[in-house]
Amino acid sequence: MAALCRVRHRWKRTNCIKLLTRNLTGTFDYDLVVIGGGSGGLACSKEAAQLGQKVAVLDYVEPSVKGTKWGIGGTCVNVGCIPKKLMHQAALLGTALKDAQKYGWQIPGPISHNWSTMAEAVQNHVRSLNWGHRVQLQDKEVKYLNIKGSLVDEHTVKGLTRTGKEIPGAVEHGITSDDIFWLKESPGKTLVVGASYVALECAGFLTGIGLDTTVMVRSIPLRGFDQQMAGLVTDYMEAYGTKFSWRSVPKSVDKLASGALQVTWTDKQTGKDQRDTFDSVLWAVGRAPETKTLSLEKVGVKLNEESGKILVAADESTSVPNIYAFGDIGEGRPELTPTAIKAGKLLARRLAGQTNELMNYDNVATTVFTPLEYGCVGLSEEEAESRHGKDSIEVYHAFYKPLEFTVAERDASQCYIKVVCKRGGDQRILGLHFTGPNAGEVTQGFAMGFQCGATLTHLMETVGIHPTCAEELTKVNVSKRSGLDATVTGC
Amino acid sequence: MSHYEEVKVHGYDEFSKAVSERKGKDIFAYFSGDKDAQGLSWCPDCVKGNIIILLRGEMFHLPEGSVFFYCQVGESWKDPNNEFKKTLKLSGVPTLIRYGTPQKLVEEECFKADLVRMMFTED
Repeated sequence: MAALCRVRHRWKRTNCIKLLTRNLTGTFDYDLVVIGGGSGGLACSKEAAQLGQKVAVLDYVEPSVKGTKWGIGGTCVNVGCIPKKLMHQAALLGTALKDAQKYGWQIPGPISHNWSTMAEAVQNHVRSLNWGHRVQLQDKEVKYLNIKGSLVDEHTVKGLTRTGKEIPGAVEHGITSDDIFWLKESPGKTLVVGASYVALECAGFLTGIGLDTTVMVRSIPLRGFDQQMAGLVTDYMEAYGTKFSWRSVPKSVDKLASGALQVTWTDKQTGKDQRDTFDSVLWAVGRAPETKTLSLEKVGVKLNEESGKILVAADESTSVPNIYAFGDIGEGRPELTPTAIKAGKLLARRLAGQTNELMNYDNVATTVFTPLEYGCVGLSEEEAESRHGKDSIEVYHAFYKPLEFTVAERDASQCYIKVVCKRGGDQRILGLHFTGPNAGEVTQGFAMGFQCGATLTHLMETVGIHPTCAEELTKVNVSKRSGLDATVTGC
Repeated sequence: MSHYEEVKVHGYDEFSKAVSERKGKDIFAYFSGDKDAQGLSWCPDCVKGNIIILLRGEMFHLPEGSVFFYCQVGESWKDPNNEFKKTLKLSGVPTLIRYGTPQKLVEEECFKADLVRMMFTED
């Protein structure tokens, strides 16, 4: 997260609490102070420094209950995108090894996975990114402070050395995504509580590397995403060995003498309690904003009561004139690295008077890196229906089979494409959805077309690259309304 | 008597042996092109007077009990598959590394006293 302001400060040491107090001459010590050294904060501070501003960035990682800590770079670098994609790749390679035998590779003996080897390699890469950021900040003359920032007034930031920790529920026996990427030893048989993309992605790679994994879902998977696509994602995971406990709510977690964790949960459908033991319980029920110690209310920065996130305007400004917020911390903003980075850079440029351009949060493409990846841009079918009315939209779809799955004898039942269009005329594309291998790579190019206002006509006029999965998007022609079979046949 | 150990080595085998004899220690290493008797090198930057002065100036910041290697890479550097490139992943000289960590400074970065100090003092 990053809330920033023009501050004045002077270092003063009083009983180990560093106080950044007012400078009596009335000048500012920094043009910009960024609280939060994540995707948004780093991009903004480096850009501002390059534009000649005097910048400081504060980044502090409160250790998790398990004691996990990490370096600069924020969620994405340390406990999000980067380690996630690497572990997802580890799992995909496991599948590739199995497929390889069908393609003629002689692989002697059973294939097993060593968690420690993977974890060390992933953690080393993350550390090299931490170092890279440190060198860049130093090089660009951005002052980096490894302290927890708190607002004294709208122009003054102080550093805290002690902060209160909140430990909700049964977290003392569980871990979160903050910990999973930093474990030195395998988590073993794991229960993942939650059905967000974090939960599904983690459960996905844990299954992929051979661990007994169960996902506990209270209601629906991937809330906010197209639900038909979410169903395909979870269907694939179930077919590939991830267990799902649907409509279940955890009741208690007890540590047994053996060290194993016994979880009791309520099956909401039957009303009955169930019980099972696991080596690890991974809570993936949402990431809360770390704003308690910022003293935002004291300074007058308004929050959304329910989410605890900061209310922001289109230019990232808050209710306090010189304080801005962007990245995950902004209410209603996508929790994505690329939007945080772009918003941070544009803000730095606007503050330096270089541009008036605002961040465009529309048409942002994204991908869920579950075992069967899901990429999308634009509206879900439900959202398109609700905004335009079912009769005003046309949904084209196709079930396709990646060529590589054929020899590997892999089931492609969930490989699917859906293009949601405005009915009539050239049929403007409202949303594009793809499940299949390399979904991120496939979706990125189409996202540009979407940004340019692509229509179904444009899509049909585009010649596909053969043989690929992406080309199936250019060939889509069966509408849901027609009721015809949407399975792609032959070449 | 300084708070760190300084070791001069030549070539990969010597380096690797000296490192294995100092297991568990915080090891820093500066890799340079070879110097001849006149102090000249095929890598003039590596032996430039101010870089040595710069390093000496920052060594005060080295952690207690650490080891600082001054390693001349030797003739083997001409071979594109040499051990330094393969095993230590060195892309060029001069390079300053903190052994066993991803922390490294390459070429021009070695000439910045603040970056060198950052590496020596980082946890």
